[in-house]
Amino acid sequence: MSDKKINFSFRERLNNVIGGNHHNYCYQCGACVAVCPAARFSDDFNPRNIMLQTLLGNEEELVGADSIIWKCTNCYSCYERCPQDVRPVEVIIALKNICKEDGVLPPNVDKYSETIVKTGRSVVITSTVSRRRKDLGLPELKDLPVDELQKIIE
Amino acid sequence: MAEKIRVAPFWGCMIPVKYPQMELSVRKTMEPIGVELVDLDGFTCCPDPIYFKARDKIEWLTIAARNLCIAEEAGLDVITMCSGCTSTLQEARFMLAEDANLKDRVNEKLKKIGKEYKGTGKVKHIVVMMRDDLGIERVKASVKRPLTGLKVGIHYGCHLLKPSQIMAIDDADYPSLLENLTQAMGATALTHVEKLLCCGKGCMDDDMPLKMTYEIFESMESVGADCMGLICPTCFNSFDMGQILIARKMNREFNLPVIYFCQLLGLAQGFSPEEVGLHLHRIKIDKIMEIISQPKKVKEAV
Repeated sequence: MSDKKINFSFRERLNNVIGGNHHNYCYQCGACVAVCPAARFSDDFNPRNIMLQTLLGNEEELVGADSIIWKCTNCYSCYERCPQDVRPVEVIIALKNICKEDGVLPPNVDKYSETIVKTGRSVVITSTVSRRRKDLGLPELKDLPVDELQKIIE
Repeated sequence: MAEKIRVAPFWGCMIPVKYPQMELSVRKTMEPIGVELVDLDGFTCCPDPIYFKARDKIEWLTIAARNLCIAEEAGLDVITMCSGCTSTLQEARFMLAEDANLKDRVNEKLKKIGKEYKGTGKVKHIVVMMRDDLGIERVKASVKRPLTGLKVGIHYGCHLLKPSQIMAIDDADYPSLLENLTQAMGATALTHVEKLLCCGKGCMDDDMPLKMTYEIFESMESVGADCMGLICPTCFNSFDMGQILIARKMNREFNLPVIYFCQLLGLAQGFSPEEVGLHLHRIKIDKIMEIISQPKKVKEAV
């Protein structure tokens, strides 16, 4: 056995993010690994191991700048299969929320979500888009109430 | 004539901006089956269940609840055309119904813009609306050019079905919704071993998403599919453009057209490929038109 101590303060922090507290239910059966496409198509992604690291509170590995969690496909197969209602994908998303708080969100994720806050849409409208919609006879896209959106998340 | 159904379409971002041909196909195919689309002002991004949710679950939930409020105020149920939007809005409904404290927290924020989420409306993906509110028979009745002989490789994607505790529309392991709709259009629905595999778009890795797409297309090709039928613009991006990338990077050409379900329905209702925007796809659909334009054999009386 390793003599490494469990980092309970990190686990406590995870417990306070929506969906994070379910990591406590994991009994390491590995059902999630069997259905996980990211585990199937890579050598290093393993949801059972990610849940083990949450139980140990291994903060550096889980929410560090090059954390493996970003390879999760978000397919919800683990949520579907888990006999303990751990909802591993939701625990992983809770870890990502901690990354955001700590300012280590991958730049493209940060940029993508900022586009939504600034324009109300995740995809930017260009003149090509407007022309194509017009050619297809579709209504013009309107500006969205971003002021409302910004007010409710400030 | 059966009664018309009035619903609020939630177009999301990917469809109106990146793939407006899908919006076109929905607008074209709903009228013949008795669905009136009531466009409401003010919907924003759902927001997306992968990146925005990764940023902050509370912000994600609050924006989703604001969108749901707009439909509630209009007294209309929402139909979604994208699996991502379906996932976000349905999960938000579930979470806010399950946790009263969370609902209070969200409503505290919504109060700043004079809104309150009550939880009175429903959210359904358009294919679910077709099955549950219209009935497959009504879809069938709108078919003028049955897609006889067309073998469609079904792709469900992830978020329509899972988690079934929240989505609650079909068996997540043995679904039948898309097969039944495909058959209603006169086509043959092919099942294949990778039917339920993720398209990989949510995975931040250079190689894995392409490998997943590759497996799905190998699987569809092995059962003799003429095309793929799907219901999500994000999956479409993985598969239409994805086949171009696979040809370039992995030196393998599948050349299997990828068709959004309402485009398939449009063809079955007798619209031309251009009328449902199929000319905008990277993988061309000539093969399909050949199959469905063939004169149908009249069944001989026994």
